[in-house]
Amino acid sequence: MTARRRALELVPLGLVVALSLLGASMASEPAGRLAPARAWCAPSAERLLGCGEAGVDLTSLVCTAELRAVVLAVIVALVGFLVGTPLGAAAALARGRVEQAVARACDLVQAFPTFILALAVLSAVRAPSRVHIGAVFALTAWAPFARLALAQTRVLRSAAFVEAAVALGRGRSGILAHHILPNLLGVVAVQLGSTAAAVVVSEAALGFVGFGPRDGVSLGGVLDQGVVAMLRAPHVLIVGAAAVFVASAALLAAGRAVR
Amino acid sequence: MHRAATEVGRAARLALARTLESLAVVGALASVVFFALRLLPGDPARLVLGDEASEGDLARVRRALHLDEPILVQYARFLRGIASADLGDSFRRPGTPAMARVGEALLPTAQLAGVAVAMGAVAGLAAAVAASGPWLAPRTRVWIERALMAVAAAPLVAVAPVLTWALAARARIVPLPGDPDAGPAGLLFAGALLAFPLGAHVGRIARQALVEVSEAPFLRVATAKGAGPARVWLLHALPVVAGPVVTIVATQLGALLGGAVVIERMFERRGLGTLILEAYASRDLPVLEGAVVAAGLLFVVAQTLGAAIEATLDPRTRAGPS
Repeated sequence: MTARRRALELVPLGLVVALSLLGASMASEPAGRLAPARAWCAPSAERLLGCGEAGVDLTSLVCTAELRAVVLAVIVALVGFLVGTPLGAAAALARGRVEQAVARACDLVQAFPTFILALAVLSAVRAPSRVHIGAVFALTAWAPFARLALAQTRVLRSAAFVEAAVALGRGRSGILAHHILPNLLGVVAVQLGSTAAAVVVSEAALGFVGFGPRDGVSLGGVLDQGVVAMLRAPHVLIVGAAAVFVASAALLAAGRAVR
Repeated sequence: MHRAATEVGRAARLALARTLESLAVVGALASVVFFALRLLPGDPARLVLGDEASEGDLARVRRALHLDEPILVQYARFLRGIASADLGDSFRRPGTPAMARVGEALLPTAQLAGVAVAMGAVAGLAAAVAASGPWLAPRTRVWIERALMAVAAAPLVAVAPVLTWALAARARIVPLPGDPDAGPAGLLFAGALLAFPLGAHVGRIARQALVEVSEAPFLRVATAKGAGPARVWLLHALPVVAGPVVTIVATQLGALLGGAVVIERMFERRGLGTLILEAYASRDLPVLEGAVVAAGLLFVVAQTLGAAIEATLDPRTRAGPS
């Protein structure tokens, strides 16, 4: 893929962020303000995306929620990347039982009912905030990165330049930092996009089942309103679903650009 | 004789390792829910009663939930409770054991997940065979493959409400969410929604495996002996794909359980998901702990079942010399 095609893959994410910023800043009132008189009103020139439950303006609500979701997803994905990559690489260099244990842990965590784990942890906090939600996702976000790093390091550790470094007397951490990690980053970074997209979707799912941030500014909250008012005001549901879909697709595309 | 003995020993060791691992998963999930409730800042008794509760009421709740004991004593009691399937009474419904409510919820969720796995596997395999076999034009086959990729990446939480709106509210061919008389049609539709991402994953993996196997000599032999394409693909090629398909279903089980929570909530179906949400909303700690542990157990049992099926289907995955 040429550099230009790659840069093009970043366009959707840029558009999503720019449009959300525009929508959120154009709003004349804070996101989530209630005005029961205009509850469930359909999209119009004045309110581009219409209104939701108790008259919240969907334009500002969805734009703000979209921005926060994207930021949270990027942060969680980066944390997973920064934790998982060195862990996987170090495990592969250590070989033996450590390597096996980390590999098996990655398998388990990746197949784990992450969503149930998130519900379990969040149930201990009275009002989950975005920090709590991000921390819960970070608990499992490292696994795919560690697994990729492990697989790639298995190839690298027998490369001639690594052998040369060993022969020259470099310690294990020196080899890890100077020879393995720089060669890993490109391969492992591919996972950033799909992890970020998964975080957006999980955050929406948490909000949908009622574990969202207490201020109600979440894409899942919009979807929940939409399902309740499916017959009366279908636009709410369509807008919420489209917002989740666009955010996850844009992050996936941006992930391809990193490759 | 000696060799058979080592074989048995190896199989037993592997089974033991798997069992320990399963126990570790359930134990980890249980410990997370236990310690998160007790060690994170915030008093669980206050969480249950709210901010305005009097000291006397708080002390009563602490006693009822054994929160006044040292944490390790509580933990031991909790583990004993899980092992004997008795976590005490539901806090909000005195007289009903928490585990009874969990047991009631387990069946609907297992049903929903089972329907989803069956539908996803059948639909995914059908799509994979259609995309690999000679029946369709090559362009159509490419489109099937693209559709599988797109569906696999589509978020369930966004797709399910829109499909429900289109099919239930507009076309009126399936029951609306929350319809108490939905019956089997409701279960089938909810299961189908849950099967969507799973089916796409199965389809992608099966298609990859079929492409790998399509050039294999045994398929050419079958064709040379006069077998038609249906016989070649369904009878000879498809069984080879079963192993990877079981593996992908097993790795998707966690996501499936999460999806089940979303679907149950959307359709207001009874199940583990709705029980967890209800217990969270009413701060019914024993039920919440029991439901989370049951979800972990369901996951572990299904995964072990998957591994067993794979070992039966494909002798190579049995504990052999590695």
